[in-house]
Amino acid sequence: MISSNNNRVSNSNSKSIAQVQAETRNAQLVTRNPKPGTRDSQPETRNSELDKCFCVDLGLIDYRTAWKLQTDLVEARINKTITSDIVLLLEHPCVFTLGRRGASENLFVSKSDLGKSGISVIQVERGGNITYHGPGQLVVYFIMDLEAARVAVVDFVEALEEVMLQTVGMWGITAERNPANRGIWVGDKKMGSIGIALRRGISFHGLALNVNLDLKPFSWIQPCGMQDVRMTSMKQELSEELSMNSVREVLKEQLEAVFGVALFTKSYFELEGILRNQKHESMAERV
Amino acid sequence: MKELSELNLPDDVRYAESHEWAKPEGDKVKVGITDYAQDQLGDIVFVELPEAGDSFEKGEEFGTVESVKAVSELYMPVGGEIVAANTSLEDSPERVNNRPYSDGWMIEVKLDDASEMDGLLTNDAYLEKLKG
Repeated sequence: MISSNNNRVSNSNSKSIAQVQAETRNAQLVTRNPKPGTRDSQPETRNSELDKCFCVDLGLIDYRTAWKLQTDLVEARINKTITSDIVLLLEHPCVFTLGRRGASENLFVSKSDLGKSGISVIQVERGGNITYHGPGQLVVYFIMDLEAARVAVVDFVEALEEVMLQTVGMWGITAERNPANRGIWVGDKKMGSIGIALRRGISFHGLALNVNLDLKPFSWIQPCGMQDVRMTSMKQELSEELSMNSVREVLKEQLEAVFGVALFTKSYFELEGILRNQKHESMAERV
Repeated sequence: MKELSELNLPDDVRYAESHEWAKPEGDKVKVGITDYAQDQLGDIVFVELPEAGDSFEKGEEFGTVESVKAVSELYMPVGGEIVAANTSLEDSPERVNNRPYSDGWMIEVKLDDASEMDGLLTNDAYLEKLKG
């Protein structure tokens, strides 16, 4: 966990990170320090005791399947069957999702047209309004015990933005935060979005970065429920298709740097195995 | 972000570990979220509350708050029936940030079991908990 007496945000970040951090407020994930004066007392331990964080590449996965996996993992995190935080990296087949306050009035196409297109609309518990997911968009779900890590929600969200800013920066794209709305922006166009939920102090849902995503379906909605929001992608800004694999790997590195964690790769099957064992144990307890 | 020493933790309310407060008023209890919670959440843009007549057990989810694209669940510090919800938060959710213990109250509860109040933390105990 990101502890109070150890500023886990890596100090070995590249110069570009330091520069961006100097320019943006709260660029690092700095946690509340309940014992002032102890934060920097042991700098030599900074990089040697990084928190382990499971990391699972799920590839292209149906929204509802990934949603169920997330809520199962949150439950496992709450009852401490899993004691590490978990990062899921994936892409979704085309789908519209509505956040807690999302209303279908922000959807401009009729249900029947949607039916023909085969794209479904799903209401979920995350923050934010309506959005679109599809292949070519890198989605990262971060199941993190913010309560245990003493990370404020507002800092968590800014750290997710920082991960995206740093990632696109590696391709020379200058994106920034926008006071009008969360996420990352290139000029007045949105490139990455944030939507999270918190249950018993544990986060789920996360960020969505437009890499090679076909942006057309965004024109069928009022993204974020805001008027005149235009979307962009890394592909659109660079006028070339990117390797999803490269973007995913760079994003993982940025995630490790910003959050001060070490990612340990697990397979989907390993994760399912842990969850299955958990169910067996809880059934045994009832018997 | 406030330092722990800057937090407003009044002594006339009791605190739950999930960061809600409960204040006895006659045979009812007013409930909201603590100064620590509102500070951690950032600017609150939406509060979703139950309707009068709904009943929840202690620890059960009674609503949500949305801040900075994050929806957080709210939990009952004590069990009982909702007798009132602060509907003014629909138009002015920022009251939870500005005055979490007064205008920013969320629900009024008719207690099922008055002894549940005894299980909550005093301001000193809550502060100790926050210090970890």
